[in-house]
Amino acid sequence: MILSRVADALYWMGRYLERAENAARLLLVAEEMATEVVGLDEELARAEWDDLRLIFPSPDGGRDAVHASPAASGQAALAELSIDPRHPYSVFFSLKKARDNARTVREALTIEVFVNLNETYRELEAYHRLPMDLPTFRNALSESHRGILSTVGAIEQTLSRDPGWLFLRLGESLERVFRTAVVLRAKLPALSTREPTVDLPLFYSRWRGLLRGLSSLENYRKVHGARMEPADALSFLLFDPHAPRSLRYGTAAVKDLLEQISGPRELSLPARVMGKLAAELAYQGQDVLRDGGGLPFLDHVLGELGRAHETLSATYFGS
Amino acid sequence: MNWPGVPSGYDEVFEEAGRPRPHYAHLLSILESFTAEDVERRERLQRLALMNQGITFTVYGEEEGLERIFPFDFVPRIIPAAEWKTIQDGLIQRIHTLNLFLQDVYHEQRCLKERIIPAELVLSRREFKRELLGLAPPRKIFTHVVGTDLIRSETGAYLVLEDNCRVPSGVSYVLENRSLLNRVFPEFFASYPVRPIKEYPTLLLDTLLFVAPRPSQSPVVVVLSPGIHNSAYFEHSFLAREMGVALVEGRDLLVEGNHVFMRRTHGKQQIDVIYRRIDDDFLDPLTFQRNSLLGVPGLINVYREGNVALANAPGAGVADDKAVYAFMPELIRYYLGEAPLLDQVPTYVGLRPGDFRYMTEHLDQLVVKTTGDAGGYGMLMGPFASAEERTSYLEKMKANPGNYIAQPLVHFSSHPTRVDGRFEPRRIDLRPFILYGDRIRVLPGGLTRVALRRGSFVVNSSQGGGSKDTWVLAPREP
Repeated sequence: MILSRVADALYWMGRYLERAENAARLLLVAEEMATEVVGLDEELARAEWDDLRLIFPSPDGGRDAVHASPAASGQAALAELSIDPRHPYSVFFSLKKARDNARTVREALTIEVFVNLNETYRELEAYHRLPMDLPTFRNALSESHRGILSTVGAIEQTLSRDPGWLFLRLGESLERVFRTAVVLRAKLPALSTREPTVDLPLFYSRWRGLLRGLSSLENYRKVHGARMEPADALSFLLFDPHAPRSLRYGTAAVKDLLEQISGPRELSLPARVMGKLAAELAYQGQDVLRDGGGLPFLDHVLGELGRAHETLSATYFGS
Repeated sequence: MNWPGVPSGYDEVFEEAGRPRPHYAHLLSILESFTAEDVERRERLQRLALMNQGITFTVYGEEEGLERIFPFDFVPRIIPAAEWKTIQDGLIQRIHTLNLFLQDVYHEQRCLKERIIPAELVLSRREFKRELLGLAPPRKIFTHVVGTDLIRSETGAYLVLEDNCRVPSGVSYVLENRSLLNRVFPEFFASYPVRPIKEYPTLLLDTLLFVAPRPSQSPVVVVLSPGIHNSAYFEHSFLAREMGVALVEGRDLLVEGNHVFMRRTHGKQQIDVIYRRIDDDFLDPLTFQRNSLLGVPGLINVYREGNVALANAPGAGVADDKAVYAFMPELIRYYLGEAPLLDQVPTYVGLRPGDFRYMTEHLDQLVVKTTGDAGGYGMLMGPFASAEERTSYLEKMKANPGNYIAQPLVHFSSHPTRVDGRFEPRRIDLRPFILYGDRIRVLPGGLTRVALRRGSFVVNSSQGGGSKDTWVLAPREP
C-alpha cells in the first residue's frame, strides 16, 4: 500500500517512459523505411510519416498536411516527434514527463533508476542546441532509445517488488498494449487495401516495417520463419501468447498486475475489465479478423483499454 | 601552485604566506602533485555527477522549474579535533538553552517576568504562537533538528551567527558533498582520520521515533514537504529515501477523529511523527494562515491532543529570532548557570531606542537584517551599499524599528577555493546540524558554505554561494 499520489506518479512515469521508447523506436523504423523507399515510391514514403502522425497526433493536427516533398514531410515529423518540447507525443516531451513524475517521487525510486532517466533526458535536451540533420536525428533517437532501455533495466534490476513497482509496471504495460493497438489501428486500413500488384518486395517490406516498429520481427520469424504472410503477421501481433508487444500478451500482463494490486479480496473494477478483454484475446482466435472485422475489433480493444485506465485512476488515485 | 593571501580576516589554511597550518600541509602537498589537466578532468567529472544525479535546488523568482546545481568546491575544509570539541560543547549548551527557553516562554514565562529578555520583544514576534501557550510537545523537546551558523572572527574564534530552529536545510548537501569528494578526489582521504557522517539519516530517524506518541507500536514517521517547487525539495526527498519513510505533501494527509492519516491506494494509514519541512504558518489553515494550501486542516488539534508529534515543534521559531539571538548569552547564564562556550556577534536590537539610534547613525558600518527573513533576503550590507540604498532602507527601518537588528561587519574567514581554474581565497561559514532526541548530538561535520564571488560576504545558495566538504578529524591527527 502506498500513497495514492505516489502510485499515480509512478503509473504515469511508467506510461511516459514506455511512450518515449515507442516513439523513438517507431521514428527510427519509419525514418529508415521512408529513406529507403522514397526513390521507388514517393507515396509510400509519405504514408510512413502520415501513419506516425496518426499514431502520435499533434494537438493542432491540421498544420502537418502541406509539405511539398516526402523528405520535407519526414524532416518535419522527425523534428516534431523527437525533440519538439510542445508536441505532446515527442520523445522529448514524454521523457520530460517521465522525469517530472520521477522527481516528485524520488524517494520511491533508486538512485540507479533516477540517474539513468535523468541522464537520458539531459542527453536529448542537449540536442536542442545543435543544428539537426538526418544523421544527427538518428543519433539522438538511438541514444534516447538506449538510455530508456537502460533505465528500464535499472528498474528491473534495482527496484523492490513493492506496490510502487506494480504501479510503475502497470503504467508501462498499459501504455505498451495501448500503443500496439493504436499502431495497428493506424496501419491496418492501408495494409489491407493496398494490393500487391506492382512491387511485391515493397509490399512485404511494409509488413516487415510494421513488425519491426513493434519490436516483433525477430519474434515473428521464430514462429513463422522468414516468409512474410500478412495474415500470419497480423494474427501474430494480436494473438501471440509470448511476444511482449502482442495485444494478447500485453492485455494479460495488465490483467495480472491489476490482480496483484487488487489483492486476494474481490477483484477491482479495472481488473475485471482487463480480465474480460484478456479472455477475448485468448479465446477469440483469427475469426474475428475475417470480412473486415479487424478494424471494429481494434476499436473495441482500444475502448476497453481506455475504460481500464479510467476505472483504475478512479479506484487508486482518487481522480 | 599559487596560493594568494586573503584580503582581510582569518586565513583558514595559511599561518602566513607559504606556511600552511599543520592540518592542511598534507592536503596541499597532495593538491600540488596534480597537474592542471588532472584537476580540470576531475572538475568535469564532478560537474557531470551533480547534474546526472539531479542534486539541484530551485531558485525562487526565476522561471518556473529552473533547477540549478549547488556549486561544489573540491578543496575540503578541515576542522581539527580540539577545535571541534569547542564547537560541539558550545552547540550542545546552546540547543539545551533554546529548549529551556521555549518551554519557559510557552509556560511560566519566568525569563520575561524577571526581565532577562524584554517581554514585548518575545511576545511581538510573528513566530511566537500564542495559540500554543501551555502546550508541551512530547518529551518537552521543541527543536529536534537545529542548524546553527558559525563564522570565524579575525582572530579565528568561532562565533555563532544564528540558530535555525524551524526547518534548517542543507544536511543533504553535507552527505552528498562527502560522497562526491570521495568519488572525484579519493586521494585526499588517504591519510586523514575524517569522522564519518553517513549515519545522519539513522540518527534523525531515531530522534523522530523518540518522540512518537505510540512508541510501542512501530510508529509511522513521514517527511512533510511543500512539494517539488520548494527550493529544498531535493533534500526532503533525499531524507525520506535515506530514512525509508514516506514523503508526503499536505494533500496526502487528512485528519479524522483527532488522528492524522495518509491517503493510500488501499485506504488510509495513521501517522505518528511528522518531520515537517513546512513553516508554522502553512501547517494548518484552521489554526494559522487560513489560505494555506500546503497544510493539513485540523493538524494542530491532533498535535494538541498528543496524537501526533511534529518536528520541529510549532512555535519553536521564536527561539531563532534574530532579536532573541542578541539575548542568548544572558539566557545561557540564566537557565544553565554557565558562561557561554561559543561567542557570538555583538547585536543591536531595533526595539531598544538607544540601539536603534546607533543603528540609524552608523548604517554605513553595519549589517542590518530583518528579524523575520532568512536566506539573506531583506538585508542591508551597510559598508557596501550606495547612499541611496541606505536612505531607502532607513525609511523602511523607521516604519518598524522592532523588525530590525544590526551587527558590525565581521571580516570572517577565507579558504582557498577553485574559481575559474585558479585557487583563490573565498569567505566561508559553517552550519553544523544538531539533533535532540534521547540526548543532544552534533553531527561531526556540517555544511561549509562559500561566497563564490570575489570579496563577497554572502554565502547563501540563493545568492551565488557554493559549498565544500567539511572534515572533522578524529582525535588522533596525522
